[in-house]
Order: sequence, then structure tokens, then C-alpha cells
Amino acid sequence: MSDVLIRVRDLTRDYRLIKRREGVVGGLVDLVRPRWSTLRAVADVSFDIAPGEMVGYIGANGAGKSTTIKMLTGILTPTGGEVTVGGLVPWKQRRQYTRHIGAVFGQRTQLWWDLAVVESFRLLKKIYEVPDDVYAAQMGVFNELLGIDEFLHQPVRKLSLGQRMRCDLAAALLHKPRILFLDEPTIGLDVVAKENVRRFLREIRDLQGVTVILTTHDLGDIEQLCRRVMIIDKGRVHFDGELEELRRRTGHRVRMTVDFREPTSGARLATVTAGLPVVWQEGEGRRHVAEFRRLDVAGADVIKRVVNDCPVRDLALAEPDIEEIVREIYRDSAAAAAPAPGRSA
Amino acid sequence: MSGAAATRLDPWRRSAAATAGLYLHFVRLAFLKFLAYRLRYYTGVISYTIFVAGYYYLYRALYASRAPGPGGVAEMGGLTVGEMITYVAVGWIGRSFYFNNIGRDLMHQVREGQIAMQLIKPYDVQSVMMFEAAGEAVFRLVMFTVPITVVIVPLFGVHLPPQPVLLGWTVLSFTLSLVVYSQLNFLVGCLAFHMKNIDGVLRAKMVSGDFLAGVIVPFSFFPEWFQRVVEWLPFQAIGYLPVMIYLGKRPGDELWQALLVQAGWAVGLWLAGRVAFRRSLRQVVVQGG
Repeated sequence: MSDVLIRVRDLTRDYRLIKRREGVVGGLVDLVRPRWSTLRAVADVSFDIAPGEMVGYIGANGAGKSTTIKMLTGILTPTGGEVTVGGLVPWKQRRQYTRHIGAVFGQRTQLWWDLAVVESFRLLKKIYEVPDDVYAAQMGVFNELLGIDEFLHQPVRKLSLGQRMRCDLAAALLHKPRILFLDEPTIGLDVVAKENVRRFLREIRDLQGVTVILTTHDLGDIEQLCRRVMIIDKGRVHFDGELEELRRRTGHRVRMTVDFREPTSGARLATVTAGLPVVWQEGEGRRHVAEFRRLDVAGADVIKRVVNDCPVRDLALAEPDIEEIVREIYRDSAAAAAPAPGRSA
Repeated sequence: MSGAAATRLDPWRRSAAATAGLYLHFVRLAFLKFLAYRLRYYTGVISYTIFVAGYYYLYRALYASRAPGPGGVAEMGGLTVGEMITYVAVGWIGRSFYFNNIGRDLMHQVREGQIAMQLIKPYDVQSVMMFEAAGEAVFRLVMFTVPITVVIVPLFGVHLPPQPVLLGWTVLSFTLSLVVYSQLNFLVGCLAFHMKNIDGVLRAKMVSGDFLAGVIVPFSFFPEWFQRVVEWLPFQAIGYLPVMIYLGKRPGDELWQALLVQAGWAVGLWLAGRVAFRRSLRQVVVQGG
């Protein structure tokens, strides 16, 4: 059995909301007798994370990602369930625990806005009691990997978003935390900056063995960084496993785009692949798109039929991106009672 | 996952010396931060001088219309015109030192979710905000209190205290005011966890606070019952008591009592802020990621 660093059991968090009545009178009544409703943001979530893992925690807005992260970082107290990280309970032993973690919340900064970047680092050095030699070594690593020395003496408010994110990553890792929480670390960044952040995270994991939990909307982050993925929706975990397994679950769905030499009708194509589990989508003229699952049929068989029967100019196969896969997982668990509708013809 | 080996993390604690060093660093940083906005305080010197000038002419006119008392000097609320002007001037000079907005800071941090960035750090948020307020006070002392003292004291003929030693006690007393004022602000700021907007509460606190602290009108002008009520509020420990010490109106044991009242409020409000902050964190959602 593998080693466990983060242990989460039946974690639940409810929010209490006032159900607003309508109109002025309703508003006044609300003041005196509010009607409360309960929203379960996180429901019975359980998982273990081993040291050194890099886990992607994904879900739509309001799915419960941030609430989970807040409980894991000790900011929020759960309604029920338990969390222990290395034997510590985050929200109960906040000060003893937070020494061991770093966090980057993409939309906000932990740097002191009005001060030069280097002042924030000096302060963090004191907050975490980082020894001089470790501080120097870490700053060396950050300079090399993130190039932060360019703007170390500028006030934070004058940095670009990409520069600020680089500084925030360095700030979160200065004290060599055991665990790094990243909440939307690439939000708002351009392609190059995104790529830089991802490369840095891979390098720092290999270099310092930090355990990373990452929430994101950008599935590129997950594909490039995480082997393990958890999908959360409406407060519940719908999938927890390897990215590869996630792909397998959806049967390695493939989308085939075919450009024919002459206009071809959908009806004709349907007869061409009759008997094979292939779905032709509504195409027009020369271009048609088909979907099938590699588990059901070999790609070569499909291609052979099409190429033999019709003059083909070009042909491309593409795997679906994770976003589609995630959508499918949502759909499947929504329709969990009924068997998932077959995608084959 | 039964039988899984569990990795342990050490419950970490900072040494007392390191904690002191850290808090001093926060004082220094707050000082630097305000230094970046120092321009704002030059205008403050002018506006405080205008405030005091207003009271100066107001009280001069009031006293001039008053018949002389038994000693041949006009008195109002037990103060001569010179004492009254000194009362107002010292009150505002003190306010230029202890004033801060940490209640508003806390409100903004809660409302915008920035408080989360503090909570993921291994330190006590209340203490950090207190020491930042101290850094602001050091800045205000140098850039604001000293300049307005230099302007106001000769301009309006502000009296020195009856005994020079009282000057030292007044400084100590205003230092306690700073603690009381900051902790009160912090406590009010904790309301932001429970209410969407506490701007109104903060403004009401500031205006009524100045009034109830005796910065605007001395308590001895108020009816007896009102003075009794005010004695039970923290505001007098902010503005009124230090000025009374300065004027020599707290002789002998009364001096100690006044300082103890201030210290009592400082400790009491600190504890109340602690409880309020912890309870708020347990119950309330921190906005945003």
C-alpha cells in the first residue's frame, strides 16, 4: 500500500443562505424572519493523496473545488467529515500546519501590493523562518527557472499578470513546503506565460518532490501536469483515477474528419460503414465527420472501408480533449440510474 | 487504504525571538508602505490646523461672552479658555498619532477574499494587523504628529502641562490609546464577516467615536448622566483620558486609575477581537478562491 500524506474522509460543507422574498415588503420580512436554505457545496468527499503526487481537481464553477481547497488549507471549517494532512487537522492547527503548505490562488496575490517584490520575499523568509542558505538557494532556483530577478525591485502593483504569477509561485515555494495548492494558476495568462508556469511546476516537482493539488478550468494544465484526476460536480466526486483511465472510460472515442474528392451524401457514407459502430455526423458536401470508439472498432477497419468505397483526398483522426470527456462523465453520472446510451449506430 | 503508511508533518512553532522579529518586521513594512503615500499627509497637516483654528476662534468667542468666575477668570466645564484650547489642540495632536483604518482594511480583505492569503500563513492575523497599525503610528508620528505639533503649539498658544513629567505620562497614555483604538477597529471590522457592507457602521463608529472620545467637545460640557454613560464606554480611554492627564486633571492616584482603565480596555478589546475573529472564521464563508 502506498504512503498517505493527505487523508480526506466524508468531507462535507454546507452553506446557509437566506431565501430572499420578493419586493420591498418581502425584504423587510426577511430582516425579521429570514428563511434559511442549506446548500451542500461539498458532499461526502473521500480520498487519499500520497506524497509527491500531482493531482488535478476539476469541475465546473460552483462544483465545490474551491470549497474543498479552502478546507484543505485550513481557511474554512467543514460541516462534517475529517481531513488530516500528515497527522495535522488544517483548520484546528492552522498555524502549526500552514508552515508546511504553499498556495497560489490565481485571482489574488500574496505579495504586498505597495512594496517591491523583494520586500515580500524578505517578509516571507521571516514568516516561515527560512534559513539564510535555504533562502539563497531557493532564490537561485527561482531566478533560473522563472527569471524573477528582472523585476525583484519593482513594486508588485506595476507587474504584469504573468510576472506577478511567477512571483506568486516563487513566494508559495520559498519555504520548501511539502504541499502546494494551486487554484487556477494559469487563469488569464497568455499562451507563452501558461507554458512557462507549467514547465516551472514540472521542474519544481522533479527538483523538490512537492505534492501538488491543482484546480483549473484549463484542461491543458491537467494534461501536462497530472497523472491523477478527480472530477467533482455538485459537491460529489464523480471520478478519481488516472488520466489514462479517464480516457479509457469513454472508450477512446475518436473523431475522424474526412475530405472527399467530390461531394458525398451522408446516406451513402452510412451504407459504406454499415455494420460498423460508426456515427456520421451531419456533414456537407466534401467534408464529413465520423465518430467511433477504438474499443468497438479498429480505426484501420473504418478507414479501409471509407477509402475503398469513396475517393478520399485527406483524412484526420483526433482524440477528444478532456473537456469533452469531463462533460461525458457528468452526463453519465447524471444518468447513472439508466445505462449510458450507446454511441454506436 | 488500511495499512497505508502515513507521512507525518511536524506541528511547527516559531520561537519567541523569531516571533518578535517577525512582528517588528511588520512594523517596518507598514512604515515603508505609508511612506509611499506620504503626500496624503502633507494635506493632513493643513486640515488639522484648520480644525483646531476653528475651535480656537469658537471657544475664544464663547469665553469672551462669559462673565468672569470667582477667580476673575471665565470658566466653562471647569476649564479656562487657555486650558480649553490646549484640550482641543492636544486631543487632535493625539488623534493624528493613534488614528488608523484597520477596521476598514479588515472589511476590504474579507469582502474581496484577500483574507484567505493571510489565513494560509502561519501567523496570528490579529497580531499582524496590530503591529501594522503600530508601524502606521510610527509613520504618523514622524510625518504628521510632529509637524502639526510644531505648527499648532506656537500658533494657538497651547499650554505646556503643569508638571513636565506629565508629558511623559501623556505619551504613554496616547500609546495605550493606539492599542484601544486599533483593537476597537479590529473588533468592528470583524462584523464584515457577517454583513455585506459595514461602511456605514465604520463611519458611524468614527464620528460617534470622536464625539464620545471627547475630541470634539470635552465631557465636562455634557449633562451628568451622559458623563456617567460615557465613562463605561471605551471611547474615553482613547481621546479623553490622555488629554486630562496632560492638563493635570488626574492628580495622584487618579493618574494610575486612568492608565489602568486604558490598559483594561486594551486587554478587554483584544480578547473580544480574538473571540470574534475565531468565531467568525468558524461560521462564515470566506468569499472567492
